Amino acid sequence: MIKFINVSKKYDKGIIALSNINFEIESGEFVFIVGPSGAGKSTLIKLLLKEEEPTSGTIIVNKKDITKMKRKEIPYLRRSMGVVFQDFRLLPNKTVFENVAFAMEVVGAHPKEIRRKVPMVLSLVGLSDKADQYPQQLSGGEQQRVALARAIVNEPSILIADEPTGNLDPDTSWEIVKLMAEINKRGTTVVMATHAKDIVDAMKKRVIALEKGNIVRDEARGVYGYAL
Amino acid sequence: MDMLFRNFRYFIKEGFSNLARNRLMTVASVTSVMAALVILGMFLLIILNVNHMAYQVESQLELKAFLKDDLSGEQIQRIGEEIKGIDGVSSVVFESKEQALEKFKKQLGEKSYLLEGLEKDNPLPQSYIVKVKDANLIKDIADEIKGINGVDKVSYGQDVVEKLLGIIRIIRIVGLAIISILFVISIVIISNTIKLGVFARRREINIMKYIGATDWFIRWPFLIEGIVLGLLGALLSVGVLALMYGYTLDYVNSRLIVFNLLPLSDVIKDMALYFALLGSLIGAIGSGLSIKRFLNV
Repeated sequence: MIKFINVSKKYDKGIIALSNINFEIESGEFVFIVGPSGAGKSTLIKLLLKEEEPTSGTIIVNKKDITKMKRKEIPYLRRSMGVVFQDFRLLPNKTVFENVAFAMEVVGAHPKEIRRKVPMVLSLVGLSDKADQYPQQLSGGEQQRVALARAIVNEPSILIADEPTGNLDPDTSWEIVKLMAEINKRGTTVVMATHAKDIVDAMKKRVIALEKGNIVRDEARGVYGYAL
Repeated sequence: MDMLFRNFRYFIKEGFSNLARNRLMTVASVTSVMAALVILGMFLLIILNVNHMAYQVESQLELKAFLKDDLSGEQIQRIGEEIKGIDGVSSVVFESKEQALEKFKKQLGEKSYLLEGLEKDNPLPQSYIVKVKDANLIKDIADEIKGINGVDKVSYGQDVVEKLLGIIRIIRIVGLAIISILFVISIVIISNTIKLGVFARRREINIMKYIGATDWFIRWPFLIEGIVLGLLGALLSVGVLALMYGYTLDYVNSRLIVFNLLPLSDVIKDMALYFALLGSLIGAIGSGLSIKRFLNV
């Protein structure tokens, strides 16, 4: 599903964000990417979304070499991946319903399909009763659930989350992660970059640990493994 | 097809909602574009009329070879043949003393009584009216005709013609330069307006990119916004120009008789069409330029 082969990323000022990274994620896996700040987690996510180009190496997503992908194909790559960020990134002038519907409008879905699908996804994330509210009327956890709904409404094969619980309290964080586990159970591959030690330790999922741009650990039922 | 249509509805809705959101900027930039296009249009009208004038001058270009009075019919015939033989001459017409007087009377109109009694002792010379194929050849041909035996004088208003052609050339060059500058200014005006809209929505654009929107999906609403701005400015300016040109025509036609200006109906129809195209083009380029930077995510 996702394969990094000898991937390195150097930034302009000679900073090495990733050096010679190799790993493979199978379809249906739930993977935590952990490591201290500056270890290369964000860079890894950015490479996956083709927001940045690797300096060398090959990245394969859904059997396609995305490093050789043309600019025109990038939108279609991103449609195969749902993304959730630490800062939610919702549109403030659109309601919850419209925010989720927007993701479907962008890919040209039929209005009928939008009216059928959005309520379904909102009920999955438990926000059916907030459909007409605006993001600023919601709590952080609710906003992140809207973002999750938006990320999965087009049924992507991969869900990518970059510190999705970074702005949330522990209880709310758990709700989000449980929701992601639920989405994973339905067949979506989940890649989550995180700092949340408790969550990683409790979930007992695969853990890829980065340090200074290198993979220092890759365990099938891993723990966070860093002192706080 | 269905999807394209749905998208297009979205683009138009978004494009117009941008315009409505920045109402003040919309009015300001439509007005600025209109002002720029009015000036541009004024120069365009001047150039069109100058071209029209140049055409009139060139088509009216003829020289007159006045003949001596004491020539026999045969000699007159021979001179005519000789002039016809010169390179660049397109037609030669003989004008007798009587015809010349008749023409003069016509020109004087009501005051033709001044010429009464001249029929018996006609002072006007007989002449050949020579038309040339190219205005630039007129001087050489005149010189050649002057050398023919029996030709008294050749006139073609050389000073006037040369000065006029010179002025026409300068007006064309200056006019085109000013039109180009105003074209660029209009693009900048629209580009700045769109930039505000793009900047206000950069978060939204960023999110759209992550969701998998294509560049064109993001670009269209802004393009439509720019085209509407350009088109509105262009159409308003055509209205202003039509009014201004109408007044100018009334003014000029009541005074000047040497040249007639192009009639309003001829000019304004073409102008409306070209300005609509020009306005859309300006708008499209302006918005295309301002959004480019924000698409690289």
